[in-house]
Amino acid sequence: MPCQLHGEIGINRNLALSHEHHPMEKMKKFKRRLSLTLRGSQTIDESLSELAEQMTIEENSIKDNEPIVRNGRPPTSHSMHSFLHQYTGSFKKPPLRRPHSVIGGSLSSFMAMPRNGSRLDIVHENLKIGSDGESDQASGTSSDEVQSPTGVCLRNRVHRRISMEDLNKRLSLPADIRIPDGYLEKLQMNSPPFDQPMSRRSRRASLSEIGFGKLETYIKLDKLGEGTYATVYKGRSKLTDNLVALKEIRLEHEEGAPCTAIREVSLLKDLKHANIVTLHDIVHTDKSLTLVFEYLDKDLKQYMDDCGNIMSMHNVKIFLFQILRGLAYCHRRKVLHRDLKPQNLLINERGELKLADFGLARAKSVPTKTYSNEVVTLWYRPPDVLLGSSEYSTQIDMWGVGCIFYEMAAGRPLFPGSTVEDELHLIFRLLGTPSEENWPGISSIEEFKSYNFPKYKPQPLINHAPRLDSEGIDLLLMFLQYESKKRISADESMKQTYFKSLGTRIHALPESVSIFSLKEVQLQKDPGFRSSSYPETGTGKNRRQSMLF
Amino acid sequence: ADPNSSPMEVCEEADSGRCPSEMDANSDIKTHFKVCRFIMETGVKLGMHSVPIATACTVYHRFFQTASLQVYEPHLVAMSAIYLAGKVEEQHLRTRDIINVCHRYLNPRSEPLELDSRFWDLRDSVVQCELLVLRVLGFQVSFQHPHKYLLHYLVSLKNLVNRHAWSRTPISATAWALLRDSYHGTLCLRHHPQHIAVAVLCLALETYGMEVPGDAEAEKHWWQVLSDDITKPIIDDIISELLQLYDLEAKCT
Repeated sequence: MPCQLHGEIGINRNLALSHEHHPMEKMKKFKRRLSLTLRGSQTIDESLSELAEQMTIEENSIKDNEPIVRNGRPPTSHSMHSFLHQYTGSFKKPPLRRPHSVIGGSLSSFMAMPRNGSRLDIVHENLKIGSDGESDQASGTSSDEVQSPTGVCLRNRVHRRISMEDLNKRLSLPADIRIPDGYLEKLQMNSPPFDQPMSRRSRRASLSEIGFGKLETYIKLDKLGEGTYATVYKGRSKLTDNLVALKEIRLEHEEGAPCTAIREVSLLKDLKHANIVTLHDIVHTDKSLTLVFEYLDKDLKQYMDDCGNIMSMHNVKIFLFQILRGLAYCHRRKVLHRDLKPQNLLINERGELKLADFGLARAKSVPTKTYSNEVVTLWYRPPDVLLGSSEYSTQIDMWGVGCIFYEMAAGRPLFPGSTVEDELHLIFRLLGTPSEENWPGISSIEEFKSYNFPKYKPQPLINHAPRLDSEGIDLLLMFLQYESKKRISADESMKQTYFKSLGTRIHALPESVSIFSLKEVQLQKDPGFRSSSYPETGTGKNRRQSMLF
Repeated sequence: ADPNSSPMEVCEEADSGRCPSEMDANSDIKTHFKVCRFIMETGVKLGMHSVPIATACTVYHRFFQTASLQVYEPHLVAMSAIYLAGKVEEQHLRTRDIINVCHRYLNPRSEPLELDSRFWDLRDSVVQCELLVLRVLGFQVSFQHPHKYLLHYLVSLKNLVNRHAWSRTPISATAWALLRDSYHGTLCLRHHPQHIAVAVLCLALETYGMEVPGDAEAEKHWWQVLSDDITKPIIDDIISELLQLYDLEAKCT
């Protein structure tokens, strides 16, 4: 910041500090200063009218999809606007004014044209992407990037041998990575001492030399599925020899990166947990963006199919616990999954279950159709959302957990509806048609009234899931509450008596550690399991549908 | 510079090679101020809501934290930031609308662009630059903004304050305007969203000389109740940075 402003910082500090001691005198100065900078009340009023205008726009757009369920929840972003609107209403001026904020003045004289030539230039992109999506110019020819001045080795006071371990620590790579031959030697030659932090640039360069961010690092194997925007391949990483899932997203020239991909990557980069699928790498080429995920053998849907829909009840508990563990982690970080279904829960041969496909997470509205015009399944969607609620809370995921829990225990989906009406009908037939008692506000929801459902009585769930014990039934009912705020949270549900048999240590595990690291936690053989199908990873066309869009 | 080197290299060399003088830094800040103003004005014309505009500005500032103005045309980056913010915040915008509105802003009296090759080049630039921005930011483009915190603070405060006093003073509107103006600078990169929300509220209250009832007698200041890790020096820092922005405005126009 320019130095001539420092005086003023001093003044303000003084003012603010002395405010407590001599309020009157100093506040006068402060206000004088502010009235200068804010240019009196006139500009503020102008900005208010803009605000009010904006509020009006947003108010109107809210009305179009007015959330139907609003049960005295804490204010959501919608109520922010209505709140501000209420308090700025008195300043509202006729609309269609040119917006001005407190920082007023016009910039008409400003930059009739951009500096660099008479038009906005095309970005000449010859950068290659590095790992973590960082742009990176170091791969290929410019290996001199990592070469420090020749004196570096001499400057190292202690010339340590660089071990694989050092390197992994340094670049935070997976522990099982295989560094290409020659890289270590090269690094030994010309790397800065290991006790010094590595610059972002040389980290990028190093990652790229190892092979991160390069398409040639990954060998494409079978195709797992295809959608309009993405194709998923099974692949193998030359670095680790491990299997990976390659989600190849075609870049539409007119649209740029699809927003599901942007959202998925930006969220997954922050989510590191044993029960959430790991994003290893991002590879960027001219025509596509490839997300490199860890590979898991199957999803829960296939797992259930493979054991003839008769799972061991102990395994049901272990899987449910892992779903909740991953979800609790997301919810603590204010990330909603919004599209939980068995196809999005991936399972490896150890029985580790991981949440995948965050393409809809944090989306404000759940689409009913994918880009490829496939219908998104309604089976796991809560009734408030089916009735048009755009409420945005973690409870939205918990209904789906209940549905999946039931499906694992009973061997068939709980509410396999084909349309919104059908779905609601199935729900109400089992759990009873909602009334003001168990769903305050339901009778004023137009959509609900228009369907005119018969008044069903709730049926005992035990008749439908006879293999579930009473603690399991209790927990299931806590997930399947009509009023979203009454649904149990992921964190709370892990503490229920149903999970008591898993022991106490399971609650104290670090986030990144699998529950199977505890010897008391082990999968049992599923009664309906067909041994022929187990180790073989299905190559059916329709598996992993979840990753397609 | 080597003509074969990629733009990124040039930029990094420019950054590390010489220490930018204060004059340069100063003019950079001014340019960013003006371009953020461009984002806000075109954003409003495009019907963007407050949070997507805030996201666009944050994307823009984050990009120029590592990239240099000598290499990247700021208005193009701004247009891509707007486009990207629309995707991130689920308020999708068409590239064509963005180009037309931005063109009009930069060339106020001109006709809309013909749909010729120049237009398509421009659109390609916006899309390409969006990818570049994504990669420079490492795809980290979802941000926590102060807006929602400010709302909650305002609701709590409103319940404390005398109803008539509250309706006479435009505290919420002023705080809101201050928050929006804060995006002209890089406050959003350097402070917690909760802290920015508290600070703009403080400044709004001080502007109208409104005092929070009971604050003098209470054990804690009202703002300590709203955010437990905020301190007076943090508030003062944010406020003085905000005031510097208003000074800057005078120099930019």
